[in-house]
Amino acid sequence: MDNDAEQVMEISSTVSGSSDGSNPKSSSLVSRVRKLLFRKMLVGIKDGRFFLGTFHCIDKQGNIILQDTVEYRSTRRSSPSPMEQRCLGLILIPSSCRTSCHVDCSIEEQLSLLKVQE
Amino acid sequence: MDCEISEKASMDRHAPQPTSSIPATENTVWADASPLLEAACRELRDGELIHGENFNLFAAMSALEIMDPKMDSGIISRYCSVDEAIEDGAAPIPISFDKTTDVQCTIDIMDYLLACEATWHKGHSLAQTVFSCIYLLRPERTASHTLLDSFCKVIRATCKAVVSVVSDARTHEEEDLFIMAYGLPLNVHGDDKCLSLLNAVEENISRQLRACKAPSSKRKVLEDIEPLQANPDLEEGYCKALLCRIRFRKHFFHVLTCMKRPQGRGMELARKHIATCISELESIYKSAEFLLSNASGTCEDGMEDRTTASGCQPVGFDTSLNCRISAPTPPRSIKLLSWIKAIEYFEKLLQDLDLICSFMLDPSLEVLLHFLVQFQKSQPDLVARAHLQLLLVQDGKLYGRDPIFSVITRAAGLPEAAKNHDIQKNEYIIQLGQLVINMLKILCTNAAWQRRKLGKILQDWRVIYVQLELAFTKEYREVSNNSNNESASVRIFKQILVWIEEQTYWIAHRFLILGFELDLYAPGEYCMVYWYLYVILIKLSEKTQIKMSAADGTAKRKGKKRKDSPKDLARESRIPPAVLFLQCQMYLAEGLTVLLAALKNELMILQSPSPFNSEHERFIQHFELLQKACIPDHVSYPSFKESTAYARFSTIVVYNYFKDAQKIAKEIKSSFSNDPDRLAELRKLELVAEHNSVALNVICQVGALDPSLKVSLEFIHHPCFATAIVKRS
Repeated sequence: MDNDAEQVMEISSTVSGSSDGSNPKSSSLVSRVRKLLFRKMLVGIKDGRFFLGTFHCIDKQGNIILQDTVEYRSTRRSSPSPMEQRCLGLILIPSSCRTSCHVDCSIEEQLSLLKVQE
Repeated sequence: MDCEISEKASMDRHAPQPTSSIPATENTVWADASPLLEAACRELRDGELIHGENFNLFAAMSALEIMDPKMDSGIISRYCSVDEAIEDGAAPIPISFDKTTDVQCTIDIMDYLLACEATWHKGHSLAQTVFSCIYLLRPERTASHTLLDSFCKVIRATCKAVVSVVSDARTHEEEDLFIMAYGLPLNVHGDDKCLSLLNAVEENISRQLRACKAPSSKRKVLEDIEPLQANPDLEEGYCKALLCRIRFRKHFFHVLTCMKRPQGRGMELARKHIATCISELESIYKSAEFLLSNASGTCEDGMEDRTTASGCQPVGFDTSLNCRISAPTPPRSIKLLSWIKAIEYFEKLLQDLDLICSFMLDPSLEVLLHFLVQFQKSQPDLVARAHLQLLLVQDGKLYGRDPIFSVITRAAGLPEAAKNHDIQKNEYIIQLGQLVINMLKILCTNAAWQRRKLGKILQDWRVIYVQLELAFTKEYREVSNNSNNESASVRIFKQILVWIEEQTYWIAHRFLILGFELDLYAPGEYCMVYWYLYVILIKLSEKTQIKMSAADGTAKRKGKKRKDSPKDLARESRIPPAVLFLQCQMYLAEGLTVLLAALKNELMILQSPSPFNSEHERFIQHFELLQKACIPDHVSYPSFKESTAYARFSTIVVYNYFKDAQKIAKEIKSSFSNDPDRLAELRKLELVAEHNSVALNVICQVGALDPSLKVSLEFIHHPCFATAIVKRS
């Protein structure tokens, strides 16, 4: 928890330092997200469902488009329970209903790719 | 290392389940990307996107938006699954431990299911209507509740039967989500025995009813019968309410199975069940008073909107549970029909089915086509139309009984023997048979779809005519070389060709008439519509007459001496009543055309200049399909203009077409004395003719002098032939 909070703070400091937009750090953030394109992404939303698809697009507001998506839903609210799944294809997940977002990567990659502060 | 732990921690917090049950690829992990994405988003400028090279904004617009109630059918509302709903007590068994409440709730469920079923028939998905009932979704659970179990079984079996009829008939047109039953328990083992179970339950309840009605002295004998519920005052009412509901389901299921029998063999029996169904529906309707007065719990306020007889919300329904299996259709909010409306729907359905069953399966195509047109007038719903279509065409034969070729030869007025002629193996004759079947199927569809399809098949009929004509000339040449007697095949060809033309004009006529029923014509366009109707009717009556006289000729040549042959000779010189019937309509259409044209030319009324398209364009829009098929030949917009440009009242008053129409209608009435439909139609035509004739005289006498004269057209006497109303403003 603490670590997480720290991370958030670190991000905000990065952002404040790049307000002019020409900061190389900021473009490195965007380019790092760009590297995530076409990877498997797992997005959780408010009502408890998860969507697993290929990362296709994200906009400034944080709305995400996934391709070839499969919807996962647990059959009971109390966990653990078996999951039901169905294919949805191209979907748009508004940032307002997104609760989590994970990408598929190797353990080595994980550190370099996701660390916001280098 | 620290960082990795934190990643895991955040993963656990946000996504405890997917990390365990949704595996990442081999040797990889799920890493939380939210902080990175959030940070990167802040760096983006407004409207900027991060995307790959294959991104296409237009394609991205078609993405399904999650959590949008109009797009996302999977939104989890109350329960995650049927099982969770059951565990939460959404559909308890028994519904209540208090027997009276249990019976009340069961009746509510039955009533609500009726409303669901009617809503489904009216075009909503099965999953979101009937199968919003949790009890139906878990067949094994209801086993201990015999009453509910038998009812659920018959509902599932009924749905299955209806789905199969509609999907076999493929008349569901735009209503194609009707048959979507994927993922629903429609094939439950044991549902086929629903009737025996239902009979047992019915028997039991009738015994309970008898027991409670018996005088107290006799009651001892019947004491071993356990009452339906605890309150003796309500026993009779609840027994009766249940019995009519159970009997309705039983007989309705019988109706469906009887009507499915091949070659219409079950029709007579089906009619008996239909009659019982209708009377049981009436009892169901009447039971509302009792149920409403004894209703416990929350009542809906609007009487007209209530979905059960008692007005109580039923136990065990959840529309959102099945929402996602109704895909691929977008989630729709469903407004359930009210219970009263559902009863009305079933009454109408049963009446329509009764009409079908009462049809005598006449092998004459003419009689059948007349029946179809009459049947469609009551605007029957999908289920009735599907049954009709399945009855008409089975195994490529009419009623599964009469080969199409024999139907055609009969329609063409050929002698009985012709139906076995080798000509039926001719490839174009086989194609013609397909066209006839196709036409019959189209005539069973809803009016809008029917009109579009009829317009399109006109070209096929035209093409088959040309092809058969070619085949005929070839045949004729060969025959005339070989022998000098006119061969049977030549005669068959000749008469079939005439019949094809007649039938093609019949289709065109139906196409134009359906335009009135669908309200497709604007008053400013009536002139061209009546003009086209007029030219079609000329052709139709002409071909009908040729066909009939040829058929008479064949009959004579056969040397069959009829008893009334002198009478026949007398009739020959006259025009047959069927043709006169068409001519009567023809005169009406002609009269209306000229009247409208004269109004336009002289008084400048009933012109409706459209700001969007010219008259020529509207002509094309309405008659393009007829024009493409050259129906009739050499008819086009210029010929319409030419024939109406010089219409003047001074000329039409001299030759009053309406008077001719009226005269014919009067004359031929006696010929149709045993055909009530046509007699009624003739009366309507006569009325229109009479009124228009008077209106015409008034306009001619006063119109030129009085510019304030108002003429309007109204369909008060006939749905297609307008009556001119003259008023002075």
